[in-house]
Amino acid sequence: MTVTAILPGGGGQGSRRASLRRNFWRGVGRVLRRKPSRILGVAIVALFAAMALVGPMLYPAHLPRDDNALYAAPSLAHPFGTDFEGTDVLALVVTGARYVILTGLVTAVITVALGTVLGLLAGFHRGRWDTVLMRITDLQLTIPGLPLLLVLSTVWKFQGPLEMGLVLGLLGWGGIARAVRSQTLSLRERGFIEAARGLGLSTTHIIGRELLPSMAPYIAMNMLIAVTGAIYAQVGLFFLGVLPFDSNNWGVMLNLAVFGGGALTSAAALPYLLAPLLAILLLTLGIVLIVDAMDEIFNPRLREE
Amino acid sequence: MIIGTGVTKTYKQRGDVLGGRNVQALRGVDFTVPKGGAVSFIGESGCGKTTLGRIIAGLETYDSGEIVIDGTPMTPLSPRRRRPYFRRIQLIHQDPYSALNPTRTIHQTLRAPLSLRASKTGRPASWIDERAEELLSLVGIDPGYVLGRYPHQLSGGMRQRVVIARALTVDPDMLVADESVSMIDVSMRLSILALLKDLRERLGVSVLFITHDIATARYIGGEGELYVLYRGQVVERGLTETVISAPVHPYTQSLLSAIPVLHGLERPGPERVVPTEALDERQADGGCLFARRCPFRTKRCEAELPILTAGTDPAHQYACFHPQRRDVIPVEAVA
Amino acid sequence: MITISHRAGETPRPDSHSASGLIAGPGATTAPGVRVRDLTVVYKTPLGELPALGGVSLTIDPGTITGIVGESGSGKSTLALSLLNAVQPPGRIAGGSVEIDGLGNVVDLHGDRLRQARGRHLGYVFQAAQNSLNPLKTVGKQLLDLGRSHGVEDRRALVRDAKSLLERMGLDGARVLDSHQHELSGGMRQRVGIMLALVLNAQLVILDEPTTALDMITQATILRIIREVHKERGLTTLMVTHDIGVAAEVTDRLAVMYGGRVVEHGPTMEVLGAPSHPYTQGLIRAIPRLSGDIEQARALPGRPPTLGTLPASGCVFQERCPLRMDICATVEPPPVIEDGRTVACHAVERSRHTAQREEHP
Repeated sequence: MTVTAILPGGGGQGSRRASLRRNFWRGVGRVLRRKPSRILGVAIVALFAAMALVGPMLYPAHLPRDDNALYAAPSLAHPFGTDFEGTDVLALVVTGARYVILTGLVTAVITVALGTVLGLLAGFHRGRWDTVLMRITDLQLTIPGLPLLLVLSTVWKFQGPLEMGLVLGLLGWGGIARAVRSQTLSLRERGFIEAARGLGLSTTHIIGRELLPSMAPYIAMNMLIAVTGAIYAQVGLFFLGVLPFDSNNWGVMLNLAVFGGGALTSAAALPYLLAPLLAILLLTLGIVLIVDAMDEIFNPRLREE
Repeated sequence: MIIGTGVTKTYKQRGDVLGGRNVQALRGVDFTVPKGGAVSFIGESGCGKTTLGRIIAGLETYDSGEIVIDGTPMTPLSPRRRRPYFRRIQLIHQDPYSALNPTRTIHQTLRAPLSLRASKTGRPASWIDERAEELLSLVGIDPGYVLGRYPHQLSGGMRQRVVIARALTVDPDMLVADESVSMIDVSMRLSILALLKDLRERLGVSVLFITHDIATARYIGGEGELYVLYRGQVVERGLTETVISAPVHPYTQSLLSAIPVLHGLERPGPERVVPTEALDERQADGGCLFARRCPFRTKRCEAELPILTAGTDPAHQYACFHPQRRDVIPVEAVA
Repeated sequence: MITISHRAGETPRPDSHSASGLIAGPGATTAPGVRVRDLTVVYKTPLGELPALGGVSLTIDPGTITGIVGESGSGKSTLALSLLNAVQPPGRIAGGSVEIDGLGNVVDLHGDRLRQARGRHLGYVFQAAQNSLNPLKTVGKQLLDLGRSHGVEDRRALVRDAKSLLERMGLDGARVLDSHQHELSGGMRQRVGIMLALVLNAQLVILDEPTTALDMITQATILRIIREVHKERGLTTLMVTHDIGVAAEVTDRLAVMYGGRVVEHGPTMEVLGAPSHPYTQGLIRAIPRLSGDIEQARALPGRPPTLGTLPASGCVFQERCPLRMDICATVEPPPVIEDGRTVACHAVERSRHTAQREEHP
């Protein structure tokens, strides 16, 4: 065997990195285009994201009421009818999206960030770290969420979606922490992690660059699922009337439709009830359709094929 | 140079609350790997060869005994202070499929240890990419082809070359190759073995070759020493050619007898040793570890543990009360 | 030879043939021959359908042990599965036939007839590394399941046959039948696999990498058992392996596969002693051996093709071949039979012609 000539250093590191990133996004596009269902999912999620971003700007701060059309049936002017005050239900759904989605995102970010960091640390360091972190996790898992929220809401009035998300997030990271820990435990036995340690690479590098990317599909999936979970949770809370009705929210709509409009017994408030339900279903569907692509997006083998 | 004396390792197997069974992976192993030399450890699965390799590569600790690396004993050092010594000994894994991170390109994989090195030695950033390409050329692959690729896009042989290149990023004194070719296609195995041989000859990197395949040990460590391990004990040790052509321990003889004969190219050796029983690690200790399976055992073998001693040739040692040379290896057929 | 090996607790049966009446199987049946003709198997991939087997022809004489040797991607496992008509999607048999004596063309068998044929006529022994046994059931339970699915009336006789087979292989039959998979060592599991393949009196046995992942000494034991059982029961045996040494140890005939083709086929002694095809030559030279000059070992350059990297035309070995000629890039060499040996190589064919011309000018 002979040593082949050393080739000139092809391209700087900067350009190489940039092209890697470009390839990644091109790969994501390719993965999403593989199935029509994924395109549909992206379209649905994009629609709701747009609603959350610009929805409230499309309508006046106080939505107009029409006292002559309380619980109006669906019509061209009001595709989902009107509510007890004669406000357009579609407008309520659109303007309520921001609160719901923002809470969902905040919750998801907190659960995933906390769960991943704690799970990674526990799994990677094992020993005492593991014991302490996992006991905390167990504690979190044993806290009954709903009763605690009921109690909390009596003493603390949640101000807006951020606080709502924070509370939901702090109550929901346990499952992810456990799952990430067990993933870490199995990954750290893999040859490449051992090799990284043998080469003297820093723990930060090993956790951040070697372990985390291997778990990316898993974390991304959990994040998306956490969004739907948080949406259900907060809508449920508003529906139960546990939280003050300080703004437009799909849960508030459900509550008013059922308890105020008697949607379960009379047909008049039915569109008012179905509209927010449909929104939740559609958003969940969109997310579920995208979750299917996560494995292929973060696994280079599946992405590049 | 690495010298080990009386290295032991016991694994506690998880049992019930009253305690589990202990498995003695290594029962006081002595070894010497000279600078730039080639040494082979052979034995069947569970003989302790992998554990020994991992201990030597610093990936596992030992219970007692001493390992001296270039004159510095490791036992008195804290784990943190041992690290720089063990970093000079790099393990080449058996499985090139799990030894590379599937989410990172070859460039990223080589870059991480090289940039660490660059920052420690004050080399410019441009050195990193140059060195990565140099190392890939050294292990016989085209840097332009592999650098931007992910591991799954490479063949097993190429991956193993990348793994070797990655080990070379820290300028090691020694490579521990643990069954490094067993998962590679037959036609490509020899080229990887030749690479290890070549690195030893040209760079002076010593090679510790761990395998169950004695013929590959003969190829890579012909002039070096061969250690035959059985249940955590070295039962025979000597120059590779000596142990293969004139084995003395019945276990070595059984191993050599079990190697398939390439009929047409070879004829079976005149003698053949077959163990009287299959391996059972639960059998009681006390006497010779191989006694129960040994066709030549006597009363003494069951009562007393033989220790490694040399015969007429001081370089050829064996742990057997009834050493006898037997011609068990295949003979080349004359066409 | 000292004695055959056996585990603690196994009945020692030093080379005893005492239960030969049962072992030999029904005398009426005889070892079947197998004729594979132009067998093509394709796999569906994103790049379209690619051939894993490109028109393989192979005749296996009754009563022989044939080794099928090849690297990954050579098509050896696909060929073994084709003999059972068990190629799984995304693969499918696209053409050709597999004629087995007493069964007809296996490619045409479907449903219940195919299921009955597997087990009664064809025994398949899975790779030792794979867990082909159900971890939740004892070996005996799985034996009875096998008997039931093949409509065996006399369950007692089935158990008796199984026991005597296990004892023939040096195991304690009753104890093994009572064991779960995890209680058996790798070598014992492999013997159970052989027993399950033979207990319904299959006369054609296919072993897929029977000793991969086994230790050297266990491997030697299993290989000896395979050879002995083959002889005693008068079987036709096919052994698929990547390890030429393993094939050399037990087989009478050797088929060397590369890139979905059989490139060389002949008596084992001759193929190993005087290989004709440049791939066989290179492969044998690349094996480090215990005998002879180790420095003579030479690596085979390049790497075996995968489904996607097969050359579009000509010989599958052209890229790595030291004897490559112009014709190799365009025309696929046809298998040529001479003196009981088959070789598919333009270079071998040409040198044969020149030799003949020199002999008969």
